[in-house]
Amino acid sequence: MTALEKPDLYEIDGTGPALKLIFGQCAACKEQHFPHTGYGCPRCGARPEQVTPEARDGRATLLTFITLHAKLAPGITPPCVVAEAEIAPGMIEEVMLSGSAAQYRDGMTIVARAEEVERNGETVLACRFAPEEEV
Amino acid sequence: MARLSDMRPVYVIGVGMHPYQFASETLYIDMGLTAVRGALEDAGIAFPEVESAYVGCTGIGMAAGRIMFNHLGSTGLACTQIENASASGSSAFQLAVLEVASGRRDVSLAVGVDKTGDQVRAVQKEKVNRLSDTATIPLVKYALMAERLKKEKGLSAEDLAMVAAKNHTNASKNPNAQFRKPRTVEQVLNSTLVAGTTTSLMCCPRGEGAAAAIVASEDAIRRLGIAGGRPIRVKASVLQSEQPQVGREIPSVTLAQRVAEMAYDEAGIAASDLDCVELHDAFAIEEILYTETFGLAPKGAGQHFLRDGGSAIGGQCCVNSSGGLIGQGHPLGPTGLGQIHELTRQLRGENGDRQQPGARVGMAHMIGLGSISIAHILTKD
Repeated sequence: MTALEKPDLYEIDGTGPALKLIFGQCAACKEQHFPHTGYGCPRCGARPEQVTPEARDGRATLLTFITLHAKLAPGITPPCVVAEAEIAPGMIEEVMLSGSAAQYRDGMTIVARAEEVERNGETVLACRFAPEEEV
Repeated sequence: MARLSDMRPVYVIGVGMHPYQFASETLYIDMGLTAVRGALEDAGIAFPEVESAYVGCTGIGMAAGRIMFNHLGSTGLACTQIENASASGSSAFQLAVLEVASGRRDVSLAVGVDKTGDQVRAVQKEKVNRLSDTATIPLVKYALMAERLKKEKGLSAEDLAMVAAKNHTNASKNPNAQFRKPRTVEQVLNSTLVAGTTTSLMCCPRGEGAAAAIVASEDAIRRLGIAGGRPIRVKASVLQSEQPQVGREIPSVTLAQRVAEMAYDEAGIAASDLDCVELHDAFAIEEILYTETFGLAPKGAGQHFLRDGGSAIGGQCCVNSSGGLIGQGHPLGPTGLGQIHELTRQLRGENGDRQQPGARVGMAHMIGLGSISIAHILTKD
């Protein structure tokens, strides 16, 4: 089975391409954060043992998106589309979108899904968000 | 918390620069010594009068200052290297100011010097992945913000280009600037598209260079016989780091507003008192955002302040008369001290064809990756 590119951030949701995102749930402040890390709670500073990973539906609201025309990072192949999305109430993350900008509009629901990308000569499954109806 | 206004007065008595330039074979020592010797000459003092030095750099390596100062004579001065990303020079300046303000030293030097070197971001060693491969690249954050403001407030690509054209044109008159060509809005718009509506000429270049400032107490100014009218008072020095994002505001922009308000309070001024500002315009959209958050323009009206000439030399408050990071350049270590160089010359009335008429109050503002925000307010007494 093809490996996930960033398994600390997401996991396969069932048998399809959809992904669940792995949040951190803090027992001390009861707040949720993303991503879950091994360092503790970024909101209240609680130790790592107070925080548990919690996989949640990878649905998000698309806020803004742009096309990148230059290779700004090793892992990207321009042109590609990056966006700001609300992945949970009040939690805004930069995400990468599948396909081209023409498929998207602000406010639409997008869903995290696994897409094959090449990394160091190997194929891995990366997280790309796509319109809900395509997943 | 003690504030600068609670401590003894501190003055900038000398500034110097080595021009910013694209990566070259020039040694950092040559650039740093040029800036330091320029500042000493400007102050009219000899190096042995300097009691301590703070050296801002990001890509040279350990103990850069110690090696550089060996070539000025081994005076045994206290020497500390400062790394605070883009704000390294600003932080070096802050520590020199605070050391004099506290009474620990009478004369202190801040110098920023840098080369395009092996700057490694600590975030790459955090071992925390992000959903987007560009999540830690500031350009992408600001390009997304520009896109949002285009839809919400009618901010256009022409507005962004106008910032860049103004700053490139200011830089064309600045012998220390990395870019020396005046640019039109059309030229900026027609340069290489990078992200969203942001083009390459709307972004600061990478480069190298050096800038230095010497600060002193009133006692030292008297003892050294420095002419009245030349020392420029440092009235505020504020640094804070960002808090978690709330809503859709970029945390560094919210932070910049908090720092500016703290600096105004410390200096006892209002935004309307500012005559000249050097701010962190790594990307053109930032200048529009910061003129709003600094209170130079009403919220949401930054582009109108720009279009109406409010930020031009001779306008309400000239912004980035040096050319800013976009035009003068952004070699990291020196950048914040290049701002102090520009403001000092503005407030002395020595800035030639970039002179803001009647300038008496100026603010230098930088963002450092992470983010931190730092502001200094300088006044002509």
